[in-house]
Amino acid sequence: MSPVYRWVDHAAEIELSIEAPSEEAVFAEALAALAELLTERSSSRGEGERVTREVIASAPDRPTLLAEWIGELAYLAESDGVVPESLERFELGPNALEASVAGPRAWPPHLVKAVTYHRLEMGEEGATWRARVILDV
Amino acid sequence: MTALRQLDETLWEIPADARADMRVPARIFSDEGLLAAIRDDRSLEQLQNVATLPGVVDAALAMPDIHQGYGFPVGGLAATEPPEGVVSPGGVGYDINCGVRLLVAPFEAAELGDRKESLVHEISRAAPAGAGREAALRLTGAELDRVMREGPSALLDLRGVGREDDVERTESRGRLAGADPGTVSERARRRGLGQLGTVGSGNHFIEVQRVERVFDPAGAEAYGLEPGRVTVLIHSGSRGFGHQVCTDYVKRMDEALPGFEFTLPDRQLACAPLSSTEARDYLGAMAAAANFAWANRAAIAHAVRDATRSVLGASAADGVRQVYDVAHNVAKLETHGDRELCVHRKGATRAFPPGHPEIPADYRAVGQPVFIPGSMGTSSFVLAGRQGAMARSFGTTCHGAGRRMSRTAARREIDGAELRQRLEADGITVRCPSTRGLTEEAPFAYKDVERVVEVVERAGLAARVAQLRPIGVVKG
Repeated sequence: MSPVYRWVDHAAEIELSIEAPSEEAVFAEALAALAELLTERSSSRGEGERVTREVIASAPDRPTLLAEWIGELAYLAESDGVVPESLERFELGPNALEASVAGPRAWPPHLVKAVTYHRLEMGEEGATWRARVILDV
Repeated sequence: MTALRQLDETLWEIPADARADMRVPARIFSDEGLLAAIRDDRSLEQLQNVATLPGVVDAALAMPDIHQGYGFPVGGLAATEPPEGVVSPGGVGYDINCGVRLLVAPFEAAELGDRKESLVHEISRAAPAGAGREAALRLTGAELDRVMREGPSALLDLRGVGREDDVERTESRGRLAGADPGTVSERARRRGLGQLGTVGSGNHFIEVQRVERVFDPAGAEAYGLEPGRVTVLIHSGSRGFGHQVCTDYVKRMDEALPGFEFTLPDRQLACAPLSSTEARDYLGAMAAAANFAWANRAAIAHAVRDATRSVLGASAADGVRQVYDVAHNVAKLETHGDRELCVHRKGATRAFPPGHPEIPADYRAVGQPVFIPGSMGTSSFVLAGRQGAMARSFGTTCHGAGRRMSRTAARREIDGAELRQRLEADGITVRCPSTRGLTEEAPFAYKDVERVVEVVERAGLAARVAQLRPIGVVKG
């Protein structure tokens, strides 16, 4: 199957729903989804010096690791102005990940306040990995 | 569908035995019409979840602007009793001390005339939204430590930002005791250093208004609100600093949960007993973030005075006076009756009645000011706290109109250019760089603020003092 993500809009927050053929693809889709969210809101789409940044995250379980990953990408956007567009390297371990994330320093608006634990899920159903993360925006 | 029992004309209840894990009832201040919308989302289920928290007393409460959140509903309120009652970062929210500050100018809207557009423009330049690197104030590490401990009075002393009478007319005088910079992470500090003096995006704004109507002449006189006067309402919070503090402590308490003797129906309700190290550290960090937020609003108010000076001169700027500043996302240790309680207000505003010693002396006869912003383009209201709030809601009332529509749905309803035209046709000058952001905050995306205010008044929580009509809005 092709990985897919969709945004589900609630009154005060945004829900990200992902389906993918592998765990790694879930994390890649999360990056793509965040890039779309930040780019839509940015007045300088795609502009800015293209850079690569190292991202490290750790957590005792997969759902929390996914939340940590998105949180690190959101922090990268806020603190360093990088819209995370592509993965140059991605290593997923049992309780941690390391990645090289590339994208333009487009300084998007500070849209994502936080990644919540509310209804946080990531798990395998047959051949499909499914995940749900709710962001405070 | 959750069964609701009506207790009186403005109060409904889900009894404690509706679910095995509820420790107290869940109660909602509302009317029939608002309740129909409340039933459409998960807010009642979330309120029932709040009623399961260890040490929660009396009832988990909701204001008429309640809507679905994550963990606590927005517009939710709960008090817990130490030592085994808990504190929950989710019961405060990510935007610690998001709140509202009202300023009143020494001139009327009619006097402002054609200079209104210039004033709104200058405010938008002086108080940046905060995207990118555009911090208004850059503090050193040592200065940030003082701001965390002391709030806006530190900013006044260090940088001459704000005024002493502003500090006097701020909830808790802009300083929660017990703030501990040592409990704040390095990442939160870095986020805070770059964002002091910025408004933020989403539903944060600066609104220029005029006093349209006075309901309580004595209250309006005490607050300095005369019909026709220009006011400025600032809605902002602790920015990335507070977001990071909440993130850090939700994570820490979530990890510590197996060591406590309770379970939770929602991970986002992560909490710890008030007697625990986790709780003490969170309260120290939360107080630091709350003080940062009050300093942030002080810096934005300073920018409004600067903008006023540049358009209207020094005398006009010096005459801009702060009415008050209230928090609507905070947890505070308060005395209610003979109990010391930890009162969580998530999208709810303190509303102390006449005579309460925590109210500034010149307001004590009329009650604590409360500000209820409407949505963009609709009225905001100034209220005064009433004794009914102390009796029924731990001294609390609502915080705003509350969203009734998602951002996507709002964007589908109206085109950004059309919305700008409508607002301008209504005499509202708009400064908002993002058309998308504008449509997401359209008036119809929110509940009817007049109806929300009417409910809290009928419930005896607060009473209307004045109505403020927007004439200009600055959004990030």
